[in-house]
Amino acid sequence: MTTPHLNVRNLSAGYGRARVLFDIDLTVHPGTIACVMGRNGVGKTTLLNTIAGLITPTTGTITHTGTDITTLAPHQRTRRGIAYAPQGHDTFAPLTVAENLHVAHQATRRNRPDLIDAALERFPRLKPLLGRKAGLLSGGQAQQLAIARALVTDPDLLILDEPTEGIQPNIVAEIETAITDTAAQGITVLLVEQYLDVALRLADTITVIDAGRVIHTGPRTELTHRSAHALMAI
Amino acid sequence: MDAIISQLPTGLAIGAVLLLAALGLNFTFGQMGVINMAHGELIMTGAYTAYVLHAWIGLNPAYSLLIALPVAFTITGTLGWLLELSIIRHFYARPLDTLLLTFGIGMILQQAARDTFGAPNVDVPAPAWLTGGLTLTDGIRIHYSRLFILALTIACVIAIAHYLNRSRQGRQMRAVIHNRDLAAITGINTRKVDATTFFIGSGLAGIAGVALTLIGPTGPTLGTNYIVDAFLVVVVGGLGQLRGTVLAAFTLGILNATVEAWADASLAKLIVFATIVAFLQARPQGLFTVKTRALT
Repeated sequence: MTTPHLNVRNLSAGYGRARVLFDIDLTVHPGTIACVMGRNGVGKTTLLNTIAGLITPTTGTITHTGTDITTLAPHQRTRRGIAYAPQGHDTFAPLTVAENLHVAHQATRRNRPDLIDAALERFPRLKPLLGRKAGLLSGGQAQQLAIARALVTDPDLLILDEPTEGIQPNIVAEIETAITDTAAQGITVLLVEQYLDVALRLADTITVIDAGRVIHTGPRTELTHRSAHALMAI
Repeated sequence: MDAIISQLPTGLAIGAVLLLAALGLNFTFGQMGVINMAHGELIMTGAYTAYVLHAWIGLNPAYSLLIALPVAFTITGTLGWLLELSIIRHFYARPLDTLLLTFGIGMILQQAARDTFGAPNVDVPAPAWLTGGLTLTDGIRIHYSRLFILALTIACVIAIAHYLNRSRQGRQMRAVIHNRDLAAITGINTRKVDATTFFIGSGLAGIAGVALTLIGPTGPTLGTNYIVDAFLVVVVGGLGQLRGTVLAAFTLGILNATVEAWADASLAKLIVFATIVAFLQARPQGLFTVKTRALT
């Protein structure tokens, strides 16, 4: 049996006294696309923020390729190979597109400028925008930059929080292609996705969260539109 | 208009000193949200560094000023770095606590200066090559020492702009100022960037202190006189905005000098404060902000 790429056990976390996650278990195997779904406010983003190190869990452990990373700082997790593109296509608005990519690439000290070229090949729309301030990009362009910025850190695990949220359909298709291509290169993907169609197209496994607890986890093939709708009470 | 033109040299000199004092504050306030009330005492430390090099170590005034600049930068930078490392970093995200904390640190530094150098002010002689001045027109004359301060300030601004825009560490600093969490998950060690920022910000305060020895005497409360105006420059210029800080410093300097030319110092201060309050009512975000497509 292979070591899980990411293994979350009995994870509980929240904000101050408000607990959001309760005893979450999540296993992501190497080279797969794992999708976490659920209604708004059930704790999906809190889970990803905790895995990325932005929130300290109250209980539980997180292991990455067999190593316990529960107490590591966020930048240490990124340097281990965990890249995170958070919700809301956040970028460094005062920095240019090129600076956004360089600051991320240089932070991980990989010294592989080919990663920036590869990210731009994956998102060619960014090429003519390299000198533009990131704060002036459209939502779709900013989302592509957010994923490109994560990819130039040379990750083995890419975490994406609702990458298609508020994005026009043709760019959603480009982002889907980028996610499948990334997984095809051997990079494991953990994805929070609100659109069921997208999740069913991309994911190898689907985990459904409700009220901070896992209520379903299994291969995508176990879920149909009807059963997924029922689980998420849509 | 004539009054403004005649006060321009004085205003530019005041603006230059304010800018040197505010540059460092802007980084520590903009990046870490630390209201560093001890910044004035770091300026004072820089000024006493110039005094020590001349009066205690006996360097020739002809070149002691030039040696004092990098030495003061290093000493005050290290002092600020140590303060950040040992005390201030434990109070991040608690701005009011940092205000009280750094106020206390400032008092300790002031008393340490009194114990070491005595309460009376001391003088640092300006080098002979800075005596005299340049006459521009009838009634408008700029002292060489003020021209030197202006040139020093311009050099510092160019160096900072180069650091922020061209170096890896500078880009990381801008990233952390904009979004600390995003910077952290991008792989940036934000603690290390904070320490570097405190070193540079405090070092710039040291340079400001050396520059102030060319304008007047050095005493334990030297920096306190500038700290409020320096904070005004930061607020008016916009947090983390180099262009805004430059523009705000020189505008405030010229405004101060012009108003003081026809009103007494207290009334001038009142008028300047009232102008700033009116400006901030209209533009609370300061002169410059980061332009984005977002509504806020």
